[in-house]
Amino acid sequence: MATQKSIRNESRQIERAVSLIEMGARLQVLESETELSYERLLRLYKEVAGKSPSKGQLPFSTDWFLTWQPNIHASLFQNIYTHLMKTSPLEPIDALIKAFQLYTEQIQTCGLEPQLSITRAWRLVRFMENKMLAMTPCSKCGGHFVTEPYENTRHFVCGLCEPPARAGKGAAASAPLQ
Amino acid sequence: MTSEQMLAEIKEANLTYLMLAQNLIRQDKAQALFRLGISEESAELIEMLSPAQVMKLASDTMLLCRFRAGDDMVWNLLTNQTVATRTVNESTTRLHASILMSSRFAETAF
Repeated sequence: MATQKSIRNESRQIERAVSLIEMGARLQVLESETELSYERLLRLYKEVAGKSPSKGQLPFSTDWFLTWQPNIHASLFQNIYTHLMKTSPLEPIDALIKAFQLYTEQIQTCGLEPQLSITRAWRLVRFMENKMLAMTPCSKCGGHFVTEPYENTRHFVCGLCEPPARAGKGAAASAPLQ
Repeated sequence: MTSEQMLAEIKEANLTYLMLAQNLIRQDKAQALFRLGISEESAELIEMLSPAQVMKLASDTMLLCRFRAGDDMVWNLLTNQTVATRTVNESTTRLHASILMSSRFAETAF
């Protein structure tokens, strides 16, 4: 019985790892979210992606999520993720995969390029869990946005209600929108 | 529009909605809850409906689905009533609306 169970569990883990790799996740995400060994993950990665995984450290700063355009994307993703976690009994990693699919869909219907990668999305969820970032409702529109944990809720206005002067002027943002 | 026409169209809309909802729920329940904005209990009920029950439910004089924008803010954003500025263009307005809608639901989710 025990072995049967573990094989099923393993196949679920592999399935998860495959969807994560297909979404472009870095190896560190896979190592942390599955119980598969490093060697197996490496082989799986090469098999699915057809190349060796990128090396190097993951971006570790919370600052990226607070800049104007990434903040909009991160907030959208985090809202979807929270919704899924609240309405369905999902494991966090499955909620991450499903929320990321919904996020990408939404961004593409708006004719935009997704700014958030699956690895960034995973970092974001981790930062939220460790209270290094928080969701704060905007005092104007009421939408929830990714902010620093101790943002003043009474005065917080989101970047969409009051875009900063140079918002949308960067190289990435001025890419043509259809 | 005559009242028969109206009823026929309501029935059709209901039928399309229920069938779509069933498909979405069967494909991926968690994502369907987000897309449809309904509770898990309702989703389970809808999933179990037989075709005959779906037909019966659809032939009502009331629409079964309703608008989920919730308030004026979201409506204005969705219908693009806001003034376009240098930075705020159509796609950011739409993104704003989706953030608002998803956070309303994340807030009130049970």
